[in-house]
Amino acid sequence: MTRTHRKQRTQRGIIAAARFALAFVSFVALVSSVPGRVTAARPGSIRGRVDVRRPAAPVERRPGVAELGTPAGRDIPNLLRSVVYLESAPRGAFESSEGGRAVMDQRNETFVPHVLAITTGTTVDFPNSDRFYHNVFSLSKIHPFDLGRYAAGSSRPVRFDRAGIVRVFCDIHSHMNAYILVFNHPFFAMTDAEGRYRIDNVPPGTYGVIAWNEGTSSETRPITVPDGGTAELDFTVR
Amino acid sequence: MIARIARLTCLLIAGISRLAMAQALPSEPIALADGRVTVSGDVSAGYACDVSLAHYCGDDLGFFDYTDYEHSALRLFRVDVSAAVRAGAHFTLLGEIRTENLGVLRPYALYLRIRPWTTTNFDIQVGRVPPTFGAFARRTYANDNPLIGYPLAYQYLTTLRPDSLPISTDELLRKRTLGWLVRYSLGDQAFDHGVPLVSAFRWDTGVQVHGGNGVVNATAAVTTGTVSNPLFADDNQGRQFAGRVEVRPLMGMILGTSVARGAFIGQTAVRAALGESSGAEFMQTAWGGDAEYSRDHYLLRAETIVSRWQVPMPAAPPGQAAVQSPLDALSLSLEGRYKLRPGLYAAARYDHLGFSDVTSATATLPWDAPVMRVEIGGGYSIQRNLLLKGSFQHNHRDGGLLLPSVANMIAAQLVFWF
Repeated sequence: MTRTHRKQRTQRGIIAAARFALAFVSFVALVSSVPGRVTAARPGSIRGRVDVRRPAAPVERRPGVAELGTPAGRDIPNLLRSVVYLESAPRGAFESSEGGRAVMDQRNETFVPHVLAITTGTTVDFPNSDRFYHNVFSLSKIHPFDLGRYAAGSSRPVRFDRAGIVRVFCDIHSHMNAYILVFNHPFFAMTDAEGRYRIDNVPPGTYGVIAWNEGTSSETRPITVPDGGTAELDFTVR
Repeated sequence: MIARIARLTCLLIAGISRLAMAQALPSEPIALADGRVTVSGDVSAGYACDVSLAHYCGDDLGFFDYTDYEHSALRLFRVDVSAAVRAGAHFTLLGEIRTENLGVLRPYALYLRIRPWTTTNFDIQVGRVPPTFGAFARRTYANDNPLIGYPLAYQYLTTLRPDSLPISTDELLRKRTLGWLVRYSLGDQAFDHGVPLVSAFRWDTGVQVHGGNGVVNATAAVTTGTVSNPLFADDNQGRQFAGRVEVRPLMGMILGTSVARGAFIGQTAVRAALGESSGAEFMQTAWGGDAEYSRDHYLLRAETIVSRWQVPMPAAPPGQAAVQSPLDALSLSLEGRYKLRPGLYAAARYDHLGFSDVTSATATLPWDAPVMRVEIGGGYSIQRNLLLKGSFQHNHRDGGLLLPSVANMIAAQLVFWF
């Protein structure tokens, strides 16, 4: 074996070792960065309760001094429902989702539900269930839209592709308003009538969690989700 | 004075914008006592220039947009504060105070709304009540008006006055175009402004009933003044009867018709024209028809008003023709608005105001100069309750010797409401 041959074999060995090392490092990095792909890790849950100390007052109708009679009655939206969400979600959660459909109805001069929490890519339908016109619009920075006036029984869709908070109004009835919270991950939940919430399928790890109610957010609270277990976290907002 | 108003307007626009941007101003009505008391506000500041004059940014020397000698509808800083106090399911007290160009605070509306049966759409309103007649009169707030100017029928000042009367048709014709500041030989000798066909700047006082089923709604009222001269305290013994029927045959369509008839000329002026013993009543009779249709991003409105005023016919001086009665006026207004994108719209309005012919010793002419107005503009919502409007307004008057017959105004207005 000549010196040249020995030198070539040594170089091939170094290259092969380097390739193996690179592959190993990449595998370790991939496995450690995506909790959902760790075969041994089982997702857990976060649950708890949101106590709304001073519920927001519903937006009142303007006095309507120029109206010729008493305006028709309207429903009062439920302002006690909150949204709890992970501030720092696992990285894999940010992969683009297909997005589903959700509905925000216009009924008795009220948006129903008053708060909607969705993921990016979701299309929200805005049916008009009243016997008169509404005009849904938003001037939010993340998704301004104006659906115009359309008849009872009709619906118009809006697809939300950017994360953020969208305030929704009616151009005809100034007291009508609603919130749409758009997340780029699935780790959020609406509270039920008793203020309880539950976020499932959370990969084990430590996260920051926030509770939101009517434009007011709690401080970020840290929580550790155990492997296959449930972490409990209560909030008091407003 | 004008420079001061302009400076004040600019300062206020800057102030309101800054406060609104900082979210320091309310964005919703203020509710007190568990929602039984609600308070809302409308603030608008506008400025306009006549660009048809030789010098830049001139005054409206044609007095096309004036609502009296001092106030132009285009150069106005207006603050309205409205409140509703609910006392149970049957009674609501509603009121509104207003100031223009930081002048005296005036009660614009104050009335009690009574709903005898809570499940029936029937209301009785007593006090200084909203206008029964017409469509535009109840949406004069800057937030409801897609443009800055007003329809001619509701703002343009004719040469008729309820308290000062011409002695002859010749005198009446000599005053054509001077409705912003006019006086006649009979009655009050002080200069004052004439009346529009329907006043959008004052509400009448009386009793109003309203009912309907959503498809057909009807309103009737008995009030002190007339549509062109709403009053708090009567200046004659006559009452005005007004009615309006509104039909909504399709979603988005409103068809309305209104009538009103009431004693217009004040007793003092009648006595000055016809003698102390005269107790005759001289009526204003008005009829209006209006239509609105909206769908998707557009809104179309049309309104026409015919007004007839009976006026005293005193003995004319030699060589002059006697006053002819009645005097008629006809207005037409067409308005459209289209939303171009969220927060941005374009709008336009065409207006015409015509008058019946009268014959003096020398000529046959409309008793006031016919006016045409086209206004084109738009609005941009800086935020939901902060709107910046801009418009170009072309006015043309067919007649009149003293004033320019054309005015091309550019105007801007900032509107804030909560």
